[in-house]
Order: sequence, then structure tokens, then C-alpha cells
Amino acid sequence: MSVEPGDPIPDWVMPCVSAQRMQTMAAILRDPNPLHWDRDAVNALPLGLGKRTINQGPLGLSYMINMLQAWAGPDCIRRIVMRFPDVVLDGDQVTARGVVDSVYTVDAEQRADCRVWLEHDERGILLEGNATITLQARQ
Amino acid sequence: MTRSATPDAAAIAALLGHRFPGGRYRIAHWENFLLTECTGAKLLPDGRVHPVALFHLPLAGAGTSIAEMFALGQAESDLSILIESYDWEMFQALYEDVEYIVSGSITAAERRHTAQGKPYDRIQFAFDVRAPDASPVARTTITWHYTRDTL
Repeated sequence: MSVEPGDPIPDWVMPCVSAQRMQTMAAILRDPNPLHWDRDAVNALPLGLGKRTINQGPLGLSYMINMLQAWAGPDCIRRIVMRFPDVVLDGDQVTARGVVDSVYTVDAEQRADCRVWLEHDERGILLEGNATITLQARQ
Repeated sequence: MTRSATPDAAAIAALLGHRFPGGRYRIAHWENFLLTECTGAKLLPDGRVHPVALFHLPLAGAGTSIAEMFALGQAESDLSILIESYDWEMFQALYEDVEYIVSGSITAAERRHTAQGKPYDRIQFAFDVRAPDASPVARTTITWHYTRDTL
């Protein structure tokens, strides 16, 4: 199957971002930031987020990784760069999306540069970035 | 952790070039299992580690921690850090029970101001992960903004 610029990457959906998973992640990461495990700490901020914990940046990034790996294989990612314009909250349903920008060959390896983002139905794009992947596993 | 005063800009700039001790880190199966479950994915085949480990593996392997990185930049509080970007380059897949060699340093540290004139400090950390045979596995770059008097 050939890949062309403009091709969409199949969506990857996280149906409900979990506060429990954030707590597990905080323990593994030894992350002291209470925004990830204390709903009262988030509620006390002047941000109007309510009593909902904020997903760790790497977890939001991981949804894009899951999308890319489901599409192009477990070893497909060569580089991923992510920015974080908005927060992901516990209880959110979010969808990882992407589109191929360019396809080229490096050292006999076919690669694709892609735009990737994490989208919320009402709040729009929460994370956005770029990924370079190898298409070898798709050939 | 709570601090109040905005640190001197020169103290932030002096962080440039700071090197972490460096060291080794091995991802056990239980750790990969839990990490992968947190992402909502299934375990990758043949003992591969989910790339989400490229956040904490470099920190732990280099001999630092989120708490120390907050402290180095004299964060006002644990709530005052904003993420500018994460940049993860992957040269080989990660595997469970492999002892990776990690080095890390601060590659940018400077005082900046928002469009509204509020100061913040932009600090960038870079980590190199190598296999036991010293071949490159990954390079990760974390760029955080240490906000001042914003919360």
C-alpha cells in the first residue's frame, strides 16, 4: 500500500482519560506535581478547570504514539515533537489524529513526515506536533 | 515545594551546561506493563518497551528527577511549570531488562518575558540514551517554562 502526502492517519481514540492512570503514572515517574493526582489542587487554581486532574504531558503524547504504531508498526517512530497548547483532563474523550505531510527516502528507508494532534470534540486541539516515521513495516 | 521570589536572571543563565551525574537504567516487565496500560495500548511484541518510557527513563538513568529539575530552575511551586515541548528522537526500539546508559545536561537556560511582560525562565534539558554496546538508542529534549508570579 502506498502512502502519499495528504493521506490521513487512522484515528486513535481514548474514550475516557483516567484519573487512576494518572496516579499510576505519577508514581512511576516520581512526579510530585499534585495537578496530576489531587483534584482539590486543580480546583484551587484560578483556571476554572474544576475538580479534575490534569493528564501528564507524556501520557497525552503516548496517544499519538499509539496511533502511529497502530498504523505503521511498533518500530515506526523515528522522531516525535509535541507542544501542549491546552490541558487534557480526567474524564475527557480525546482523539489522536494525523496527516502525512511528505514522503521521502533516507538511507534506503522510506519515511513520512506527519502532522499529529490530539483533539477534543468541544475544546479543539489540546496537543499538536510533528512525527517522522519509517514506512518499512507497511511495505 | 514553594518559593516566592523570582530568581536572579544570572542564576538561571548559569544553569547552562549543567551536567547530571549520568548512569544506567533498566525497565522491568512490571514497569513496562503498567506504563503501557496507562497509555491505553496493549503491550508491544517481543519485550519492546512503550516509547512513553522516554520521559522517565532518561531522567532516572541520568541520575536526576522531576523534583530536582524543578528545584534547579527554582520553580515557584510544583504547579508553576508549563511544558513548551517534548522532542523524542528514536534510533532503536527500547526493550525490557536492557541496561541503558544515560547522560544528560541543561542545553538552554534564559529569562524571557510573555507578551504581557511577565517574566518566565525557559530551561531545556537534553538526554542521550545508549545501548550496552554504546550505540545510540534515543535522544530526548524537554523544554519547560518556569513561570513567575503567575499562579
